[in-house]
Amino acid sequence: MPEQQEISLSILKKRWLKFKTLKRGYYSFVLLVILYILSWFLPLLVNNRALVLSYEDEMYFPIISGYYAGSEFGQDVPGETIYRELQATWESENSENWVIMPIYPYSPFEDITVAGNKMYDPPSNTHWLGTDNTGRDVFARLCYAFNISISFALVLTILNYIIGVIIGGSMGYFGGRFDLFFQRIIEIWSSLPMLFVIIIISSIIRPSFFLLIFIYTIVNWIGMTYLMRAEFYREKSKDYVAAALSMGQTNFKVMFKHILPNAMVPIITFFPFAIVGGISALVSLDYLGFGMPPPTPSWGQMLDVGLQNITKAWMVFAPISALFSTLIMVVFIGEAVREAFDPKVYSRLR
Amino acid sequence: MSKNTLVDVKNLSVHFPVHGGIFSKRVATVKAVDGINFSIDRKQIVGMVGESGCGKTTVGRAMINILRHVAPDVEIGGSIEYHFGDEVVDFARLSSSEVRKYRSRVQMIFQDPYASLNPRMTVAQIISEPLQLHTNMTNKEQTERVGWLLDKVGLQPEQARRYPHEFSGGQRQRVGIARALATNPDLIICDEPVSALDVSIQAQVINLMMDLQDEFDVSYLFIAHDLSVVEHISDKIAVMYLGDMAEYGNAQDVYHQPRHPYSKALLSAVPLPDPSRKNRKRIVLEGDVPTPLNKPSGCAFRTRCPIAQPACAESKPEFKEQAKDHFVACPIVE
Ligand SMILES: Nc1ncnc2c1ncn2[C@@H]1O[C@H](COP(=O)(O)OP(=O)(O)OP(=O)(O)O)[C@@H](O)[C@H]1O
Ligand code: SF4
Ligand SMILES: [Mg+2]
Repeated sequence: MPEQQEISLSILKKRWLKFKTLKRGYYSFVLLVILYILSWFLPLLVNNRALVLSYEDEMYFPIISGYYAGSEFGQDVPGETIYRELQATWESENSENWVIMPIYPYSPFEDITVAGNKMYDPPSNTHWLGTDNTGRDVFARLCYAFNISISFALVLTILNYIIGVIIGGSMGYFGGRFDLFFQRIIEIWSSLPMLFVIIIISSIIRPSFFLLIFIYTIVNWIGMTYLMRAEFYREKSKDYVAAALSMGQTNFKVMFKHILPNAMVPIITFFPFAIVGGISALVSLDYLGFGMPPPTPSWGQMLDVGLQNITKAWMVFAPISALFSTLIMVVFIGEAVREAFDPKVYSRLR
Repeated sequence: MSKNTLVDVKNLSVHFPVHGGIFSKRVATVKAVDGINFSIDRKQIVGMVGESGCGKTTVGRAMINILRHVAPDVEIGGSIEYHFGDEVVDFARLSSSEVRKYRSRVQMIFQDPYASLNPRMTVAQIISEPLQLHTNMTNKEQTERVGWLLDKVGLQPEQARRYPHEFSGGQRQRVGIARALATNPDLIICDEPVSALDVSIQAQVINLMMDLQDEFDVSYLFIAHDLSVVEHISDKIAVMYLGDMAEYGNAQDVYHQPRHPYSKALLSAVPLPDPSRKNRKRIVLEGDVPTPLNKPSGCAFRTRCPIAQPACAESKPEFKEQAKDHFVACPIVE
């Protein structure tokens, strides 16, 4: 389509437009972004505490203010109010009091200690994907685990990128002893059997989200660092850098204003694969039991108990399909990004 | 040295150490430039010619002090003294932070117009960068100045919002010229500014550069490998061979009465429309250019020189003023 462009487009903008035409990747991208944003509002959507509750003309917001004993609302249970039952009771009594529950009124932590919950409950209208070996709702856990998986992968990737750009960029840009020093460090580092190191560390210290990020960053910074080293090394000898320096631009500005925008190709094309790597890393650690501490919802842990109870198909099926569909969407995105960044026009395998 | 001298290059040498082995020991030295002398006056154009690899770009980069950027361990000897008003600064000695405040005085136009403009920046951003660094102009003044400069180099001010990849090679080189002129420099080093362009466009760009030289009162060090280009535009011509300067003098003298055997050979290869010189003898040089890693002893040209003598291998020929303002590095032709 020959069209006259009034405002000229930067290369990145052109690639974004190209990316948008690659439907499979683009829709996966849009869907994942929407789901991820939604997943931050999960406490409002999937939760066992009521959003709003009116009891004897007074309003309560348990979802914000937290714990209320059952006795406060005239419910005869030990410990916290069971809002679902409260709602059912008040509705059947045609009472003045009312409760508004989240769309899916179960929490990922609520187990058989709460009255009415059963172990190994098969999928039904109430528990969409059934319950697990401790009576927790599988669907609720799946949703929360999605947020954790993606967040983990994102934070890990971004951290690695920051380190990679700073260290790798400086290695490539300044060269010399600095470069040599880090090259040796990377060689030593990359020959350590890192999975074992992680397992050893997390069997000594109780792992948490940020400790796992930290450990994985220590392992993973090498990849992006090497890519960035090569990019900066190649770009720094180009004449536009010489031109910038010859007009008195500082090294810092040259690195981040001139070279970095020209080193974006590996950063962007690699991103989806780094996300896949991050998600898989967390799943495998959780599966082996060295990941996030229980009872944190996680796909790896769900996979683990699912496989121990292989006859309860929903417990295996749920985490596997969640993992599979997330990963495949990310791969679709990666494929479309690669395609959008490809200077050759007709290179797509259809 | 006259009062009008802008830059005085004395005994400049640029050596790149070559490292090898597991301990990165120094195993050799590339003598890219090996002790050259010349000077450029204000508003003067000095043409520099020589075969590929003889060190022309290296001289140019030394003169804007950016060699250390790509080769941190480069060894620079001699001096490059600029006379800015009453100040005399030696670019060969200044560190990259000390040199920053003089950067606006010396600029460069690069050989490859595709690599010398940042593909991620618009033309406006590219040309206004030196303005941001060296002037206190407001954004609006910068935009105006960019438009004015674009007009000067024969582009439309509206094209400022475009990216380099939307321009042809000749247009890009015009952008490069506008960038170099932005801060009103005293000297522009033009490193083969037209050799990457179509022949039909070369003349246009050269004519433009000549007009601008007149208008901006700037000096040029015009690097080329083609003597005929340089002859028309230069006041002086410097002929380089393998890091040495073979001959340096007024353009007319060097072009019409070359003394050094290498200059003669170069000239005999220039296709001439002038019938009076039709019957000159074409001198074909034998052999390849030796590498600057391993230069011949004595006169570097002796391996290919048609009139070489045994004495030429002994000591490096003196760069001597054989006629008025005409320096030649060959005692045999004196
Ligand atoms: N950073 C460097 N490290 C080592 N050697 C270098 C470096 N830069 C240039 N050289 C060498 O210095 C010599 C002169 O190179 P230079 O680029 O100045 O030649 P030139 O005359 O500009 O050639 P051309 O006409 O091809 O542009 C060459 O042999 C080159 O290999
Ligand atoms: S010094 Fe000798 S070898 Fe060198 S140019 Fe003169 S004659 Fe030739
Ligand atoms: Mg060159």
